[in-house]
Amino acid sequence: MANLNIDAQAQNTYDAIVIGSGISGGWAAKELTGKGLRTLVLERGRDVRHVTDYPTTMMQPWEFEHRGQLTREVKDANPIVSKCYAFYEGTQQFFVKDAEHPYIQEKPFDWIRGYQVGGKSLLWARQTQRWSDFDFQGPARDGYSVDWPIRYADLAPWYSYVERFAGITGNKDGIDTLPDGEFLPPHEWNCVEKHFQKAVAGKYKDRHVIMGRAAHITKPQPIHLQQGRAQCQHRTICERGCPFGGYFSSNASTIPWAAKTGKMTLRPNSVVHSIIYDEKKGRATGVRIVDANTKQMQEFYARIIFLNAAALNSNLVLLNSTSNRFPNGLGNDSGVLGKYVAFHNYRAGISAQFDGNLDSTTDGRRPNGPYIPRFRNVYKQETDFLRGYAAGFSAGRISRSNQDAIGADLKQNLLNPELGGWHVGSHMMGETIPKETNYVALDSSLKDPFGIPQLKIAIAYDDNDDKMVKDYQEQMTEMFTAAGFTNIRVRDDHRNPGLDIHEMGGARMGKDPKTSMLNKWNQLHAVKNVFVTDGACMTSTSTQNPSLTYMALTARAADYAVKAMKKGEV
Amino acid sequence: MAVAAGALISLPGWAKGWTAETVQLSHNFLSRSQDDLLADIVETIIPATDTPGAKALNVHQFIQKIVVDCYDPSAQDTFRKGLTTVDELAGKTFGKSFAEGNTTQRTTLLTQLSQSTDPAQKEFYSMVKGLTIRGYMNSEYVMTNLTHYQMIPGHYYGCVPVPTKAVSQTK
Ligand SMILES: Cc1cc2nc3c(=O)[nH]c(=O)nc-3n(C[C@H](O)[C@H](O)[C@H](O)COP(=O)(O)OP(=O)(O)OC[C@H]3O[C@@H](n4cnc5c(N)ncnc54)[C@H](O)[C@@H]3O)c2cc1C
Ligand code: SF4
Repeated sequence: MANLNIDAQAQNTYDAIVIGSGISGGWAAKELTGKGLRTLVLERGRDVRHVTDYPTTMMQPWEFEHRGQLTREVKDANPIVSKCYAFYEGTQQFFVKDAEHPYIQEKPFDWIRGYQVGGKSLLWARQTQRWSDFDFQGPARDGYSVDWPIRYADLAPWYSYVERFAGITGNKDGIDTLPDGEFLPPHEWNCVEKHFQKAVAGKYKDRHVIMGRAAHITKPQPIHLQQGRAQCQHRTICERGCPFGGYFSSNASTIPWAAKTGKMTLRPNSVVHSIIYDEKKGRATGVRIVDANTKQMQEFYARIIFLNAAALNSNLVLLNSTSNRFPNGLGNDSGVLGKYVAFHNYRAGISAQFDGNLDSTTDGRRPNGPYIPRFRNVYKQETDFLRGYAAGFSAGRISRSNQDAIGADLKQNLLNPELGGWHVGSHMMGETIPKETNYVALDSSLKDPFGIPQLKIAIAYDDNDDKMVKDYQEQMTEMFTAAGFTNIRVRDDHRNPGLDIHEMGGARMGKDPKTSMLNKWNQLHAVKNVFVTDGACMTSTSTQNPSLTYMALTARAADYAVKAMKKGEV
Repeated sequence: MAVAAGALISLPGWAKGWTAETVQLSHNFLSRSQDDLLADIVETIIPATDTPGAKALNVHQFIQKIVVDCYDPSAQDTFRKGLTTVDELAGKTFGKSFAEGNTTQRTTLLTQLSQSTDPAQKEFYSMVKGLTIRGYMNSEYVMTNLTHYQMIPGHYYGCVPVPTKAVSQTK
């Protein structure tokens, strides 16, 4: 019997375990297997293989039963995820349905999730800007949250490293709030976007309108062809999964790359319950899972563990990993685990018309758009709110037809639409401030279908966010006016936190183990062989999209982990 | 691409929850005669000319699917009552069923509905007209033969001269 157990244990032992196969977990898998480690990737959802498991990717608009619209049944059953702009008839298979994975909203929070191999990397909008020193210095400057243990320089080479592999399109713009990267050719502007860019440059020295940086292969390099990926075809139906691998997803890129090493074991339908801590050894020895099909518990063992379940779920796993040594969650000597969660604020927007450039229009589609980097409170504190916001921007014309008539005239009108004028629009992407009162915790009684405590989420906007919304509306109105746009309308949709899908923090990085969970290598201060490199590790949120930074942090931490392991340090 | 097309035919088990098998139209939502009436209404709104009209493109069935599967019960009610109203009005105004009326009579009747002082009648008309336009414009026939939809444009050109011909006249 004893021998059998040892055999079973040996069979379930790997060099490394990665929890989650989304954007960050995919990178952990690629880096660890690439460095020769036998790596087990545990993913709670089902397998989704590139191309063959994208059921709607080749469907024509008329082939959808409801031509894309959600049914009442789906909407009624899913009031939360139905609010997400990307959730429609062609994409619903990649989103978590409300009832399947319950959580508790202590305050309203729309938690948007993708539980499958690839996680949310199948669904994301692919905006990928580097963070700058202004972002990593933010907390030290204004005293909110704690100081980051790293600076831009620590991450810069790793940004380059992941950008080259993922394939990022953009311009080198030479803007200090938004460092340049390793770019493929940029997407094209249209004339009204160019007009706005000039108008803004003419009026403000410190405000820029640039072409968005996005994870699309505009010109495949050998490294992309080796991954089996091809040039982006501008279909703009990316969220259904792209058969060309035109955008970066774990499914098209990192996971198959890791598989090719022969070192990866991918185990879908494996819901991680907790990380096992061995008090005698003073280290984590493995992971406990609930098999989603059999509901049986099982254990797997490894020298190092990468936790990449996406920000809030990584908090959940740590909180649920209790032992005598860590009664309040793994590595939680500081008591900050689950606290100081922050997010992005996309509440506000603005739209307008432009009466110029009526002799020109656009042709084709573009899976990206212009971007306005942060310009508020950069060099000095100039407003009554902390930090700042970035913004998306785009212009376009829509065809319209007179639909008043009926009969043959109507038909004639419909088939001969007239081009309307130019419409312009923008939305804000604001940084929120991490606060102790914005937290997640485990509910003491309610369990999920796998017997794991449900996550309780208490996250809200504050006065700083409201002031920022107002400032965005005022400043953009001023910029739109300067560009000669008319019929300007601002909005604040008062959406719930969460819908912006950039939740971060809870297991933040920091220099001091008394006030943070992770050190500068994303290692738990107190359990050196556990690394957390998804959004949970973020000390503050910046105004830029976060996922590229998760990729860079993951690659950097994996490099460190393997070296440390070889030196016998972890 | 053959691989992807193949995957569409045999959907994996998890995707079955969202296919025709489970999200089926409840067949007794409209009676046979109401179904015919709806077909005549959509055909009046977008008739056959040198190209097929809404009826031949099954727009009336698309409308029922949307109303049954996507609309809430009160909108469904407005829709069903509206159909009854159309037949009643046809009897009153031209002494025949809507189906038996000629194009002018049918058009006049629908125009009356659009201007009705009864909000339910107006709502019914705008619902049916909106859905007719949607079902027609994104039908396979129109998108492939008349508006030349392409899934893969392969490009984005930011500043091109406004075309002088509508898409439907370019081929
Ligand atoms: C519509 C949409 C638009 C977006 N746009 C952008 C954008 O433009 N730019 C940007 O930077 N970001 C964007 N995002 C956010 C981006 O998708 C996430 O930041 C990113 O996917 C996070 O990576 P991750 O590895 O932390 O998590 P995920 O990619 O979500 O992967 C986490 C994985 O862990 C698995 N998992 C969770 N819990 C467990 C467990 N207990 N056991 C085992 N496995 C588990 C999940 O099933 C999932 O597969 C967008 C997201 C959405 C949905
Ligand atoms: S726009 Fe590019 S990445 Fe998106 S679906 Fe099309 S080809 Fe794929």
